[in-house]
Amino acid sequence: MREEKLEKLLNELADATAQPAPPYLAEDIKHQIPHHLSPHRGGMDTVNIIIDLRISKLAAAAAIIVTMVLCANFLRSRSPTGDGIYQDSKLLIKYCLGGIDARRSDVFTAKTRYEYLTQRVKDVVYYGDSIDPEDSNAVLIQWKLSDGKYRVVFGDLREETVSAEELIKLQARMLQKKAK
Amino acid sequence: MEYSEQRRNSLAARLRAGERAAAAELVDIYYEQIYVFMRRLGHDCQVSEDLTQQSFLAAWQHIGQLRSGKTLNGWLYRIAGNVSSLYWRRHKDNKAVSIGDIDVPDGSEPECDKTGRLEQLGRLKNAVAELPVKLRQTVVLHYMQHLTIAEAAEAAGVRQGTFKSRLNRALKALRNQIISKDGELL
Repeated sequence: MREEKLEKLLNELADATAQPAPPYLAEDIKHQIPHHLSPHRGGMDTVNIIIDLRISKLAAAAAIIVTMVLCANFLRSRSPTGDGIYQDSKLLIKYCLGGIDARRSDVFTAKTRYEYLTQRVKDVVYYGDSIDPEDSNAVLIQWKLSDGKYRVVFGDLREETVSAEELIKLQARMLQKKAK
Repeated sequence: MEYSEQRRNSLAARLRAGERAAAAELVDIYYEQIYVFMRRLGHDCQVSEDLTQQSFLAAWQHIGQLRSGKTLNGWLYRIAGNVSSLYWRRHKDNKAVSIGDIDVPDGSEPECDKTGRLEQLGRLKNAVAELPVKLRQTVVLHYMQHLTIAEAAEAAGVRQGTFKSRLNRALKALRNQIISKDGELL
């Protein structure tokens, strides 16, 4: 009963306090409407999605951090130096635009890559001076990973992680081809 | 002005498309409501005008968050509520001002009853003004701006269960202030 009385009184208070807004207010606001209303604000969509999900701010922060860590791990797995995607993009553009000399310029790109790797990774070996530029399966660069396997960059700038046995096979094939 | 759901959907779609005329229409429909909302939240006349303008400016920037006509009320009141909360955070020393004059329509009741009712409303008005910001906003959204629980919860940025719980706390606080132990209004 007390609740009903209170709710009724609140409704009465709403009617009693309904004050008119100043008449010029609407026009003032309308003058401030931008000429180009944009439904999208750059960079805010992800944040808005999280806000709309109505999870707590702490959980939202945790979700953003976890996503960033996962993305960073994904990119790192593409290449230990983190520029695998950059190299792939470069290769794609080169093949689209480069034509016949693309292969030969791969070796040049690999050389640049080798110089970059020597500053960051131990035991990097570069074979670019001795391999056939037309051989896409030739090992251009190799280096040892912390788990005992090897990361190999091939003639077409493709990258793979291989075991020691597989690497020996690849090198043997290169030597056989060179002997012919 | 009451708007049908179809018109609300149309308005929301036009706003999302960036139509300027729709923005002007939104102002016409809502500017009085938002102004009174600000007054009921405890802002004085001048501040309420400023905050109403700020609410619409913020609305233009957040049109992308408006999903449909159904959520139009919740979306705009949420923005206005945030603008108000931000003001209170920046002006912690300011006290809520209870809305000025109370006007009770003349009825058939005797003059002494009318005076008593005015006193009750005056006490309730002051009690609402003394509620903590979140609870005040809850009461104002549901009982004074007449938003449904779903709309008001959307406006407050909480789940419906949380909103109902806040509403109960707010009513309890008001009850303690204006209703005597034997259940009579003071």
